Amino acid sequence: MNPIAAKAQEKKYFSFDFQIIVLVGVLALVMIISAVLTDKFFTYPNIMNVLQQVAMIMLTGSAATLLMISGNFDLSVGMVLAFTGVMHAFMSKNGIPTNVSMILSILIGSGFGLINGYLVAFLKITPVIATLGTMYAARGLAYIIAWVDGGANVTTGLPIDFEVFGRSMVGSVPVFLIIVFIIIAFFYFVYAKTNLSKYAFAIGGNNRAAVLSGVKVSMVILLLYLFVGTLTGFAGMTLASRMGTGAPNVGADFHFDVIVAIVLGGTSIYGGEGSFLGMILGALIVGFVGNALNLLDVMFFYQIVVKGLILLGAVLLTRKIKDTIG
Amino acid sequence: MNKTAKGSYAGIDLQKLVILGILVFVALVFFSLNNRFLSQANILFILRQSSFVIMTGCAVTLLMISGNLDLSVGSTVALTGVVHAFLCQSGMATGLSFILATGVGVLVGLVNALTVVKLKITPFIATLGTMYVGRGLAYLITDGLIIRDGLPDNFTFVGREYFGPIPIPIIVLIIVILVFLVLEKKSILGKYSIAIGGNSTAATLSGINSGSVVMTLYIIAGAMAGLSGVMMASRLGVGDPNLGIGFEFDVIIAIILGGTSLAGGEGSILGMIIGGLIIGSLGNGLKLLNVFTFFQAVMKGIVLVLAVVLDQKLKSGISIRNKKRIKN
Amino acid sequence: MQDTLLKIQNISKQFPGVTALNDVSFEIKKNTVHCIVGENGAGKSTLIKILTGAETRTNGTIVYNGQDFNPRNTREAMNSGMSVLFQELNVVDQLTVEQNLSLGKEPRSFGFIRKDKASDAVFQVLQSLDPSIRLSDRVSTLSVAQKQVIEIAKAISSESDVIIMDEPTAAITEDEVNRLFTIINHIKKENVTVIYISHRLSEIFEIGDYVTVLRDGQMIGTESIEDLSYCRDEVESCAELIKMMLGKVVVEHYVPSTIDKTRKVLQLHNVSNAKLKDVSFDLYKGEILGFYGLIGSGKTETANAIYGIDKVEGEIFINGKKISIDKPESAIRAGIAMVPEERRTEGLFTKLSIKENIPLMNIKTISRNGIFSRKKERLLAKKYIEKVKIVARDEDQNVAKLSGGNQQKVVLSKCLNAESAVLLMDEPTRGIDVGAKEEIHNLIRELSQAGKSVIVFSSELPEILNLCDRIILLYEGRIKEIIENGGEIDSERIMHIVTGGGGQHNE
Repeated sequence: MNPIAAKAQEKKYFSFDFQIIVLVGVLALVMIISAVLTDKFFTYPNIMNVLQQVAMIMLTGSAATLLMISGNFDLSVGMVLAFTGVMHAFMSKNGIPTNVSMILSILIGSGFGLINGYLVAFLKITPVIATLGTMYAARGLAYIIAWVDGGANVTTGLPIDFEVFGRSMVGSVPVFLIIVFIIIAFFYFVYAKTNLSKYAFAIGGNNRAAVLSGVKVSMVILLLYLFVGTLTGFAGMTLASRMGTGAPNVGADFHFDVIVAIVLGGTSIYGGEGSFLGMILGALIVGFVGNALNLLDVMFFYQIVVKGLILLGAVLLTRKIKDTIG
Repeated sequence: MNKTAKGSYAGIDLQKLVILGILVFVALVFFSLNNRFLSQANILFILRQSSFVIMTGCAVTLLMISGNLDLSVGSTVALTGVVHAFLCQSGMATGLSFILATGVGVLVGLVNALTVVKLKITPFIATLGTMYVGRGLAYLITDGLIIRDGLPDNFTFVGREYFGPIPIPIIVLIIVILVFLVLEKKSILGKYSIAIGGNSTAATLSGINSGSVVMTLYIIAGAMAGLSGVMMASRLGVGDPNLGIGFEFDVIIAIILGGTSLAGGEGSILGMIIGGLIIGSLGNGLKLLNVFTFFQAVMKGIVLVLAVVLDQKLKSGISIRNKKRIKN
Repeated sequence: MQDTLLKIQNISKQFPGVTALNDVSFEIKKNTVHCIVGENGAGKSTLIKILTGAETRTNGTIVYNGQDFNPRNTREAMNSGMSVLFQELNVVDQLTVEQNLSLGKEPRSFGFIRKDKASDAVFQVLQSLDPSIRLSDRVSTLSVAQKQVIEIAKAISSESDVIIMDEPTAAITEDEVNRLFTIINHIKKENVTVIYISHRLSEIFEIGDYVTVLRDGQMIGTESIEDLSYCRDEVESCAELIKMMLGKVVVEHYVPSTIDKTRKVLQLHNVSNAKLKDVSFDLYKGEILGFYGLIGSGKTETANAIYGIDKVEGEIFINGKKISIDKPESAIRAGIAMVPEERRTEGLFTKLSIKENIPLMNIKTISRNGIFSRKKERLLAKKYIEKVKIVARDEDQNVAKLSGGNQQKVVLSKCLNAESAVLLMDEPTRGIDVGAKEEIHNLIRELSQAGKSVIVFSSELPEILNLCDRIILLYEGRIKEIIENGGEIDSERIMHIVTGGGGQHNE
């Protein structure tokens, strides 16, 4: 038995510890190289900026990780992000108090989550098709509302307090970031300590055995999709508030970023195993790589190419690590 | 044991009758709302619009019959169109550029083929990756802009001219359809696609090299997407990296409407054509009624879900997920 | 005058912890129908896998047509002339008969099929086997028997000299069985040798020329049917053959349970579906009830019916109250837990550890208000490791690395944790070493002493006889007889019943 595998047998979760160590290393490497290549990198404003962007990915990722662990995924998150943002702007503009609009926007996200969950868990439609469908529906709706409003984005005529949530600060830290991290921490708790998480792992690992063990598979999947939708609604609302506008064209690559972050973090697309912490690190890596490329004036569109390669690389890397350990 | 409740009535497929009925229904509804819908000019327009989905759909139908899928066709359409425009703008002869750009589609197909068959990455992830890389490359080549200027006059020849009374793109469409119908029914590729999708163990035991077949299918899909992209660019007269968003979606709906099972093993190019026409008609009809483009997106989302549910119901309610896969 | 076609010499096959075949030797003569019989687990399917290249042998040689035969995969075996008809049919439903027959061998030019016609030779074969099959029929519309005919035609047309048939009559009607036999006799004359695996003894006598009996991985005897011909009478039948199949059945471990005959914890009335016919029985508190029968007799189907996996007609009662169970979750809530047949694919979560597997049927034992406690999880695992004697490094070990016996113990722990009144066990000790078998049997006895009612579904007669208070004999989905354990048990008579002989069961 090779020495790595022998060591692996000593600790459970070793394959993930190993992956986590690799990820931390990669993240550190990315940050060091970026700092060396440009002095704009290691500034407080810049790092804060990245964290704010990455926060959205991590927010949806908090629930999407468990969803993927259960063997499913949600392609509609990007468009739901856009739609809820647009709706938040639209509702605020048309007489609904901003606070109420915030809550309603989150609920709209929940609604999409419920629809996705119902399609996949009860109508037994494969997640690819189901969430592809809701994705296009959400995209369409986002543009429709913007059009009804009369422009490309819902920008003008927004109440003064629209941007409060997205832009107020506590010292030099944005308020929403604190709230987002609290939410992420809560979902880490869900991931680490609840029965729901156990069921997700079971379902993803062996759906049949889960059914035979009496797990309420459909309800679990519905709930997971609901969480993803709700968190995405929150993210969309926050983003709109931050930008000061409801834009239907955000989030085009969002679902991709979320999937890359999750897969990079060690979650298998087939389900049954995964890592919340890995997702956080994965999101950070994707965020900082993108940021570095930006600062270096690299074509924005190179990033998309790079992301595609990262995804493929992540899948192969995860498999390689498993083969070495196992 | 697979059961298909798909009935045959006097040899004609029930599913095809149903969707033909839907097509006629849709046509009649739109006609009653706006007479222009069935005018010759409009019908021609619908055909032109649907031609890209149908051409690509011909190849992707065979691919899905074999049990695989390709999400990258939309970005390939954009990429090859952009390449074609770029090359022409740089002075290359239009004809040569046409061929090379289509070749780029073949390359994308090759990448998909290798990633799925040799690297054994699941088609969903593999083609999702190529989709992003392809789209990124398209933006890269054009710097994010649309290539409009500096294109030779004959750039739009293929896309806009006529051969006699018939538009050239329609002729190309018909040729492609005929070729693929023959491939579907009479070629080894067509038959082996069904075998691999229907019972991969039996296929392997009969000596079929599944890997080669699947790779060929991906390459052909890339080629057809490439051809569609080049023709689209020729028609529009620009190289636009934003084209084709949602294209893969339209193709998949057309294919599913046409009766292809997501699990593989059965499907029909003829059905896909009718499905493609339905999608084209829907889009066109809604436009004629001044319904904003993005309503279509919502509509399409609903149509897709309904199509899949219909697909599953027609297959006698045995859930696709529960079908036993025969393992080696 | 028959030459030897196939010489099997000293074939052994070892798996980790289990010897599937032990020094098996016999000969198969050309143009005969050579039957192989044995109970489940006797080694039949392993032998077939070795012959067809799906497994490699550990020891021994096979001489086929005078040459050494060692195929590396099924394709190679087929190319050498050895074809197999598995129970899972290898035809493509979505293609026509003709397309299936020519699959892989189409005459072609430039990638196009010149004629998707089965060659005339193949067509002739098909016609002679079953004229009712038309070439243009879509295979999905054909019956199981007809699909078999297509596979046979395909095998013959690829010039196989051996066709192995693995339980071919499991899924076809009586008339179709007769047709199949006519076909087999026909192809014998066409220079084809048939290796026929079955447990239906009446068929063996009807179609076979020779029979080899396997038991516990060993070759017990090879006889010509003629020599056994006095067995054609069903009443005093086949004693010789059955004796060979069974060997000495030792029933020394049976300990009667304390049964409360006044309480019927489970009752089935006239439960039927496609595979079951009017199954009715009662289960008493504290009883260990056994279901015995060979493949396809309906054991798993009965278990699935009780557990809510399959839909059935008929009624099920728990403690006298009628209930309807539509899925396993309902069964568990009603107090029934099941240890499924296939532990790896149905019972275990192979990506998780021991301690993560155990609570999943009843997570309340380690959690409160939806939040679980790692401490309780660990303690629970330790408790069961000790109680059920699971051999592992510790509770954190991944279950995929455990031996079969220990894996089964994990599944059992999971079910015990559900604290149910009724425990169903489908093939509880299949593929498990002797030591673990003993331990699991003792555990079952302890459970019944503690008041649990257990139903054991098994195809190992010694296991049934050593454990169960009452034994229900199944054949083809029907209860043939219910036997009380404890007195003189006539194993041969039992074997006779489960292989199709008459039984006395009145409802």
